[in-house]
Formats: sequence, C-alpha cells, structure tokens
Amino acid sequence: MAFHSLGRERGDSMVNEHWQMLTESFPQLLEYGIKVTIPLSILSFALGLAVAVTVALIQYANVRFLRRLCRFYIWITRGTPLLVQLFIVFYGLPDIGIKLSNYLSAFLVLGFNEGAYMAETMRGALESVPRGQMEAGYCAGMNYVQIMGHVVLPQAFRTAFPALGNSMIAMVKDTSMAASITMAEMFRQAQIISGQRGDVLLLYCEAAVIYLLFCTALTWLQRLGEKLLAKRGGVRA
Amino acid sequence: MKKYLPIIVAAALIVAGVIVFLLIPKTPSSQGDMLARIREKGKLTIATEGDWPPWTYHGDDNALTGFDVEIGGLIAKGLGVEPDYQEAAWDSLLAGLESGRFDIVCNGVDYTEDRAKKYACSDPYVYTEIVLVVAKDNEDIHSIEGLKGKTTSNSPNSTYAQRALDAGATVEYADTLAQTLRLVEQGRVQASINSKGSVDEYLENNPNANLKVVLTIPGDPVCFPMVKSADTDTLVAEVNRILSQLRADGTLAGLSQKYFGADMTEAK
Repeated sequence: MAFHSLGRERGDSMVNEHWQMLTESFPQLLEYGIKVTIPLSILSFALGLAVAVTVALIQYANVRFLRRLCRFYIWITRGTPLLVQLFIVFYGLPDIGIKLSNYLSAFLVLGFNEGAYMAETMRGALESVPRGQMEAGYCAGMNYVQIMGHVVLPQAFRTAFPALGNSMIAMVKDTSMAASITMAEMFRQAQIISGQRGDVLLLYCEAAVIYLLFCTALTWLQRLGEKLLAKRGGVRA
Repeated sequence: MKKYLPIIVAAALIVAGVIVFLLIPKTPSSQGDMLARIREKGKLTIATEGDWPPWTYHGDDNALTGFDVEIGGLIAKGLGVEPDYQEAAWDSLLAGLESGRFDIVCNGVDYTEDRAKKYACSDPYVYTEIVLVVAKDNEDIHSIEGLKGKTTSNSPNSTYAQRALDAGATVEYADTLAQTLRLVEQGRVQASINSKGSVDEYLENNPNANLKVVLTIPGDPVCFPMVKSADTDTLVAEVNRILSQLRADGTLAGLSQKYFGADMTEAK
C-alpha cells in the first residue's frame, strides 16, 4: 500500500490523490485533444477524402496509365505501416532536401494513408451503382461529368458513408502515432504527465477515455448522417 | 436522458474499476524480498534503450553492448543470476520499472530528487558531462540561458528536456538520440542538450554532421533506478556493494575509459 503514496508529502487518502491527479490532468489532455487531435483528424480526413474520390474516379473512368498509377499508390500505401511512412516523410525526406514540419508531415501522411483505404471504399461504392444508369444518363442528354456529379457519385457516397465513417474513426486514433514525429499531441502529453506524476495506468486510461469520447461522438454523427441520407434517399425515390 | 444512460453507466464502471484496481495492494509474486525473488527466477531483468551509444547500443556485430549494458551484466553476475536485457524506448523504461516489468534500469539515468522519490536509486557510478549542441551555422546560442525562446529536441521526461524547459525553451520530443540530433542538424530545432559521451560518439560516427558543441558543463550523477517498495532494500544494498567492488578493483574506471575515453567515475 505504501508504494503508491511514496514521495508525496500530503497525507490524503490514495483515492483522493488519484482523483486529484485525474481532475488536474484531464483538462490538460483534453486541451491537446481539442487543439491537436481534432483539427488534425478533420484536416487529414478531408485530404484523404479528396484523394480517395480522385483516385476512385480515375479508376472508374479506366484511363489506362493513370489507373496503373492509382493502383501503385494504393499498393504502396496499404502495404506499408503508417509509422514507417511517418518516419520516412519526417526524418527521411530532409536527406533529399524536402523538409516538412511535423504537423505538415502528419497531415500529409495520415491523409494519403487513409486516402488509400477510402479510395478502395469509394471504388467499391462507385462500382455498385448499376452501369445502366450511365447509359440512361447519356440517353437523357447528360454528359459524363453531369452523370458522375448528379447520378453516380451521390449514390456511391451513400453506399460508402458507413465505411467512410469507419475511416474517420480510425484517423482519430491514428493521430496518436504523430507523437513519434515530435508532435505535441494528446498521447505524448499523457506520456509526459505520467512521467512527471509517476503514474502510468491512470494517465494512459485517461487518454484512452478521451479518444473514446471523440470516437463516440463520431459514431453518433455517423448515425445522424445515415439517418439524414436515408431521409433524402426516401424523398428522391 | 434514457438514451445516454448506458454510456454513463459504462463510464462510471470504468472509473470504478480503475480505482478498485489501484486500491488492490501489490502482493509479492512469491515469498521473500525482491532480491530473493530475483535469485529464485535466476535472472535480473534489465531495461535499456539499446539505441543510445555509447551507453547502450548495438555494436558492429549487432549484439547489444555499451557501458551500462556491461555494468548491468556485471551486476547480474554479482547477484549470481543471468542478465535478461529488455529493450524499450526511454519513456517506457521507468514506467515499466514501476509496473514491475523490469528489475533495474541500466540506461545512464541521471539522479534527481524527483526520481529518488519515485524509484530506489543505486549509488552514483559515473558523473557525466552534458553538452549543448547546435547546428554549425548557429551563432546565437552559447549557454543554457540562451535557450530562452528557442526550441530544443530531447526525450520526454529526461533531465535534458527539463533543463531546456527550465531555461524557457520549447521542447520537441523525439525518442532516440539519432532522431534528436537529426532535428538539430535539419534546422527543425535550434539545439539539444545531451550526454557528452553520446554526442562525441555521434560526431565520431558522423564526421560530416551539421553539429557543433557550444558548451560543456557537469551533469547530474548517474544511477541505476530500481523499484521503490518495502522489500527492495536488500537488492539496492547488494547492487551498491557490487558497484563499490567494481569501483575498487578499477573495473568501472576501465569501462569508462573503454566507452567514453575518460575516467568519469569520480565526482568533479
């Protein structure tokens, strides 16, 4: 029992001490969660989505050389660990003169990494739209861009929505890896506080709970989004 | 409200679980004190980074070696057990000690009052010097005080990071020495505070490194931290006895010469 209270002058009970540590560190962690984790997740997700849609559309359009290029990107990105990608971009690229800040490195790597997964999601969703609709579109006098924009993509997005939500949740958790490239983000903060306080379990659990909070909120948003989409779909049909 | 009830209950259960877990007293895994348990299992679990030359690193044959690795081995030998080296990032070393994963940390750990409160530290076995490193073209940092408003790279929860923070610098956290110094070389941070021996070794291995040492000052004494609990006293005493023996027969000084090129075993 004495183990945990060693080095503390105050004679409070242990529960009080732990409670105090939790209440003191929670706002500190949350601050980094709000300042770093959330913006980084949103920005990277936006980038990933843009990449994914582009890559999926190129593959859908079946332009030969570009299609190969896209497959190559997906192959490399999905086949290598995120941590290794972060290290290559942040610590490695300066050797050939490309020096990106830690934030920019994390943003690009997270975005392009998740982008590869989401590209596959989008490709599947695009392919699930019956090809006949394309022909129907042409018959109705629409051009390729109009058909994609008004007919195929909206349906594909609806199909892809749950899987994209999944990717967003994965993204939030993956931001913790940016700690390894000197980003002062939430998990790194938990490590630092845990070093100062000499407590490991509680601090890491606390960080885990905050990630859980963020992801729970996302799950709610996803459900809300699905409901809205279902409603819109209902009106259209 | 009803909808959120399961979540509130789940959160309450998690918090309650953690508190209960913390209240359970740590029971020794078997009879006897720490030292007896180490002798019983026949090995001393030594935590070390493995990527901080010359303290702890992988040599040309890829085997783990280094100043602290050798001394750790000698301590195990002195205790009559086998050394069992576990490599982990700096940040996990002391944390793992606390959770009982390791018996001792052999990683050039600076002795500080804060650490002495949390861990059972051995007697100091070397007294290092620390250096302030900047990029070659940096002309405006010459002292620790000069770090005010600058950015340094250092390991989280290291005494080096603490010195920089105390001087009013921002610290970017890197996990290994190589990463730390590369950040300085690449101009992403302006400086780093590190062990003189390690920086010398890095400069020797990387003669073209874009680094220069602008300041050398005495560092903290270095010790081997062990778990602080009621039954580690005999282990600490035994480790200290082995250390004083290694000091008396010149082994410590010899190893210091071998790895640092100087005898650092005496307080300056």
